[in-house]
Amino acid sequence: MGNLLHRVKSGSLITFFLLSAVAIAVEYEDDVLPILEDHCVKCHGPDKQKAGLRVDQRLSLLRGGDAGFPSLVPGAPVKSHLIERIRSRDASEQMPPKGERLSEEEVELLEQWIRDGAEWPGQMQDLGAIQSNHWSFAAVVRPDVPAAAGNPVDSFITAKLAARGLTANGPADARSLIRRVSTILTGLLPEPGRVARFLEDYAADAEGAYMELVDELLSSPHFGERWAQHWLDVIRWAESNGSESNLYRKNAWQYRDYVVRAFNEDRPYDKFVREQIAGDSLGTGEATGFLVAGPHVPAATVGREPSAIRQARADRMDEILQTVGASIMGMTIGCARCHNHKFDPITISDYYAMTAVFQDVEFGSRFPEFDVEHPRRKRGEKLWSQIADQRKILRRTGGWEENWGAYREWHFGAVEAGAIRLRFKTPNVTIDELQLFGPAERSVNLAHRGRGATVRGFPAEGNEGRNPINRVNDGEFGTMAWRGRVEKNAQEKPWIQVDFSERVKIDRLRLSSNREYFFDTGYLTQKPNLPRYDFDLEVRQPDGKWKSRVGTWYITRKLNELHPERKEALAEIQKLISRLGEEGPQPGFVGRLIPMQVTRVLHRGSPESPRDEVAPAGLDILKGNLDLDSEAPGSKRRAEFSSWLSDRNHPLTARVMVNRMWHHIFGSGIVSTPSDFGSAGAPPSHPELLDWLAAEFVSPTTYQPQAWSMKGMIRMLVMSESFRRSSQPSPEALDADGGSRFLWRFPPRRVAAEVLRDSILQASGKLDRRVGGRSYRIHNVKKTYAQWEVVDNHGPQTWRRMLYQERMRRVDDQIFTAFDFPDCGQVRAKRPISTTPLQALNLMNSPFVVEQSKFIAQRAMREGGDAREDQVRWLFDCLLSRAPQAGEMAACEGVTLQLVARSLMNSNEFGFLP
Amino acid sequence: MRNTGFSLGGLGLAHLLAAEDPDRAASSSKSPIRPPIDPDQPYAPRGGHFEGAAQQVLVIYCPGAVSHVDTFDYKPALKKFHGQKPPGLPSVTFEGPTGNIAKPFWEFKPRGQTGKMTSDLLPEMGSLADDFCFLHSLHTQTSAHPQGENFFNTGFTMEGFPSFGAWATYALGSECSELPAFVAINDPRGLARSGKNNFGCGFLPAAFQGTDFNARNPPSNLNRPASLSAADDRKTVNLLRHLNRKHLEKYPGDADLAARIASYELAGKMQTSVPEMMDLSGEPDFIQTEYGTEVGSDLKRAYARNCILARRLVEKGVRVVQLFNGSDPSGGNGITNWDSHSDILKTHAMQAEIMDQPTAALIRDLKRRGLLDRTLVVWCTEFGRMPFLQSNGTGRDHNPDTFTCMLAGAGVKKGFSYGESDEFGHKAAVDPVEVYDFNATILHLLGLDHERLSYYHNGLERRLTNVHGHVIKDVLA
Repeated sequence: MGNLLHRVKSGSLITFFLLSAVAIAVEYEDDVLPILEDHCVKCHGPDKQKAGLRVDQRLSLLRGGDAGFPSLVPGAPVKSHLIERIRSRDASEQMPPKGERLSEEEVELLEQWIRDGAEWPGQMQDLGAIQSNHWSFAAVVRPDVPAAAGNPVDSFITAKLAARGLTANGPADARSLIRRVSTILTGLLPEPGRVARFLEDYAADAEGAYMELVDELLSSPHFGERWAQHWLDVIRWAESNGSESNLYRKNAWQYRDYVVRAFNEDRPYDKFVREQIAGDSLGTGEATGFLVAGPHVPAATVGREPSAIRQARADRMDEILQTVGASIMGMTIGCARCHNHKFDPITISDYYAMTAVFQDVEFGSRFPEFDVEHPRRKRGEKLWSQIADQRKILRRTGGWEENWGAYREWHFGAVEAGAIRLRFKTPNVTIDELQLFGPAERSVNLAHRGRGATVRGFPAEGNEGRNPINRVNDGEFGTMAWRGRVEKNAQEKPWIQVDFSERVKIDRLRLSSNREYFFDTGYLTQKPNLPRYDFDLEVRQPDGKWKSRVGTWYITRKLNELHPERKEALAEIQKLISRLGEEGPQPGFVGRLIPMQVTRVLHRGSPESPRDEVAPAGLDILKGNLDLDSEAPGSKRRAEFSSWLSDRNHPLTARVMVNRMWHHIFGSGIVSTPSDFGSAGAPPSHPELLDWLAAEFVSPTTYQPQAWSMKGMIRMLVMSESFRRSSQPSPEALDADGGSRFLWRFPPRRVAAEVLRDSILQASGKLDRRVGGRSYRIHNVKKTYAQWEVVDNHGPQTWRRMLYQERMRRVDDQIFTAFDFPDCGQVRAKRPISTTPLQALNLMNSPFVVEQSKFIAQRAMREGGDAREDQVRWLFDCLLSRAPQAGEMAACEGVTLQLVARSLMNSNEFGFLP
Repeated sequence: MRNTGFSLGGLGLAHLLAAEDPDRAASSSKSPIRPPIDPDQPYAPRGGHFEGAAQQVLVIYCPGAVSHVDTFDYKPALKKFHGQKPPGLPSVTFEGPTGNIAKPFWEFKPRGQTGKMTSDLLPEMGSLADDFCFLHSLHTQTSAHPQGENFFNTGFTMEGFPSFGAWATYALGSECSELPAFVAINDPRGLARSGKNNFGCGFLPAAFQGTDFNARNPPSNLNRPASLSAADDRKTVNLLRHLNRKHLEKYPGDADLAARIASYELAGKMQTSVPEMMDLSGEPDFIQTEYGTEVGSDLKRAYARNCILARRLVEKGVRVVQLFNGSDPSGGNGITNWDSHSDILKTHAMQAEIMDQPTAALIRDLKRRGLLDRTLVVWCTEFGRMPFLQSNGTGRDHNPDTFTCMLAGAGVKKGFSYGESDEFGHKAAVDPVEVYDFNATILHLLGLDHERLSYYHNGLERRLTNVHGHVIKDVLA
């Protein structure tokens, strides 16, 4: 038949016309293949597949190379990356990169062929769904438990030990056991009294005593505190933004409390997952703090270039995906941001489909949604009723003002109005929002432009003509405010008029200057400005005349003079308001929900190169299609996505979480890379055991009280003999398995920073055991652009568990950070355990340790008995859970109790899990 | 007074500290090379991947972005187009609308044998032109300071990645057994914008994070608390030694326990060696005069003392010394660092007064003592500044697209310039250098292949240079 180029070339000038308008069939063999062979096959063929692409297979072209775009979209040459790269004028993009370029005729031939459907004899059946044989993408199939009595965990472990010819250690002694299990379950050493009781019980009935101990520890509120920290590590949760200004994230700790509660209440893991992704629609709004746990660069600090602002948003989205991917999926999703994942079957389209899921999420604050049973909501209702009582008292005498921090609120007798006017008495006012409420629907802002209200005022364009009046009722808080400024002595002062769409009844007014700032951050020397503006509120009468209704001067000063008894009620209200802000529902840094844009795949990860629209979805290879499109509301996207993730058949979710629990109990996961279950991660050391645990996690047959119970899973693991083995070394076993990976012994390890600190406080009797609430601070109040500085890391206000130490990114607490405490910049699925001289200096010399050693010594004198030997014995008991040996007692001779305590706290025995 | 600290006596053990390493067989020409780290002595000197020209590095980091067009990158076209706005220049940059081209605020003169044109802003440093290797075509990925600092010092704009110093000491340990392997000498005014991230260990073991102190402030908790006596310390240590020995008997050969005992040993040594380092009273007058510890602004004198401290640390064999010339708060009056959005004439001059004499003295001193033969000196900043002014007419905005850094000492060409920016100094034009290339080159000079110095973390072999970087062969001596 001959090559079409030759066939038409003879006619020549009409080539272009012919190809584009006249249907001459382009044949693959005759027309396309020669072009590809001449220009492409050398680098993208059977011998080499640069960028993961080969042009001699239709399937490979359909999938595209590493860039993640299909090289071939049958019917659409414009969308075919092959054509784009061939036509590109960009030297870094164009194909072929060197040598002769394709002629216009050749390119048009290819385009025509694609337009016609890219017919490729013999290869039309292969449609190119991604496949993977990687173990973690395969469904979990419950394996048979190797024959043996007792805890199935042990059956798997024993079978493997036998296969490797390893001999397991015998059980640990009771003292080591109680230290080990207490530290792992609650992060605190056992107290001496409890150790004594356990030893007694254990001698009588080892199994019963141990089971009782485990159940007691699991039901301790300290269990949730310890295990919450593990989760917070993975998602690098902190209470500041990171980046330049590293601002405090106000009330972010609500999320931390949620996690503690979830562990303590044994929230099923599938629910835990759903709430953190879609808590706004499940009545646990604060759980979405999960999504914004990572660091972020606020839009305000990336400069004015629009491309930098777009890039920053894309970076923030990437932080969300890293969090979700690493923590729940055990996948490095971020690798697919610029091109298809190099190791795992995750495409760039998958990545952007997942960004579509979180399109309505932004780093910032909101009022969390709480269901009726939520403890904060219940507490809030109680406080609200007390506020209402006080308001009743005030109402008898007239209007009043309340300071809500973010805004001021004025109350006055209800009045009907078609329009109102605020006449300010000051020449300079900044208002981001004005709200009016009435007695009918208490929370509906009648001044909102969405209700048909319109505003006008003076100066209407605002300061320098850049801050117009319509911002006061646009529903947006923050810096986009109306700035009404006139000369100091000007006759006409600023005023705002609101015209309602119909006559309404109003009885409350709210004004704020920058409410967003107040909700988002704090602890800055420049406080968010909540000025006190004096004004008169006028109401337009039916006859068109304006009548003054409320004056701030009257209700905040005059009335209080006339009725001194109001003071008490006003003070009480302010007290209740601040308590409500602490204990009730309150805005917090748990994610802001924003209007969405259509999500597109970004070529090479650049927001400047948006390509095809993508629908919200999970990973394609794991049937992540959610049947959603770009119209789907944000909460629905996230809810559907979380259902996909928490489905009991999802191959990753259960495996990843049981492995995490295993990791924290045994010191190393069955998969030793707990946040990478992809092919670059480690394979499981006990694959059958991992799958059995995953299966057991979602459909329990033995220890589990309910599906997805984390407590049940943890209980099963610590009840195993494998957990209860002695940690003594054995030269033969060490030779064969130095890392104790096969668990012939319990692998000893250094305890975490928190365990050291909390146990020291417990030993001194100073530990404040309150669970939850605002973090304790060790930092200064700083300027917006400045570093946080540690000002007090040891005073009485810090004597709480370290979980509650306010977590500022990048800040070194100058004591325990040195013990591999994460800086919350990157996902930390497991902490490295390192040994440095700074740790030694901190644990020897820090004011915290020196002070606490004094308290411990005082306690030894109070509680240890009168004889010095008994006091020393008490110290050993308290810090090491054992009595001193004779040689040790002798070594303590002539050493003060305080120094004995200091030595014990620095000893290896104190710092290592036995 | 030696060994008054709490040394515990070392216990040598052959166990090696394994990196967080998945069980994967990997061996190719570019497979990772894991440094053989003895947990008992994590800072013991280790060989690199090949013989490097330099054994140590001194990094002088200038936060805030030094204006290349006002210091080392001579652009005559700026004079010609002064006050104009040629087409093609952007209308908006980091801080907002742009103004017109401005000629350098200081005169440029030829310096040294090479006649290198440098400005009167930094005459002392300029006088060392024959010793420097200038790189004029660096460019970076961001025009925000903290991300720029992160990128320069850790290879990533995001936080939480190991710093250059952490990588180098992770690979090489240190030649000095009494001092930390990696010391960050902070500016007298405090930490730079990215704070500890500039010298952090990221996901590498904490052993490799930089220890920060300067000539004024020792590392925290270095000194014995005031409430305790030397005898108290001795007693504590004796008892501790006894306890640890007994405990180790139960776990014979346990490397982690032995390492912890060894760490107390080094801590004890540091209690003596660090104050010794910080005590500059033994430095002769001519040194104090040369560095300028007695003359000039308070900040300059404090920085001069930091420079002497830097030399002393290099002398002792500390592997990486990172010396900061500038601190945190942004913008403002400009005297906290090099950031000069307004009144650059004043603010750059104030910062130059602090840096010029002491830094030049430090390099001269190192050279005189023969330390430049084994030490690489790096002078750097996160990006440059614009050849045109901001709309305020007095300051220059951030310029990520070209800027100048310098190398000197072991293994690099002297009196050499590499790469060029365009005629205005607006974008890198000839032989553009990525920060990755710059870092790859420094590692190369230390005998490390940047592609094989990696650490497995969360699914990836992480590197200082991510997946990029080429050694700039042309600057190697």
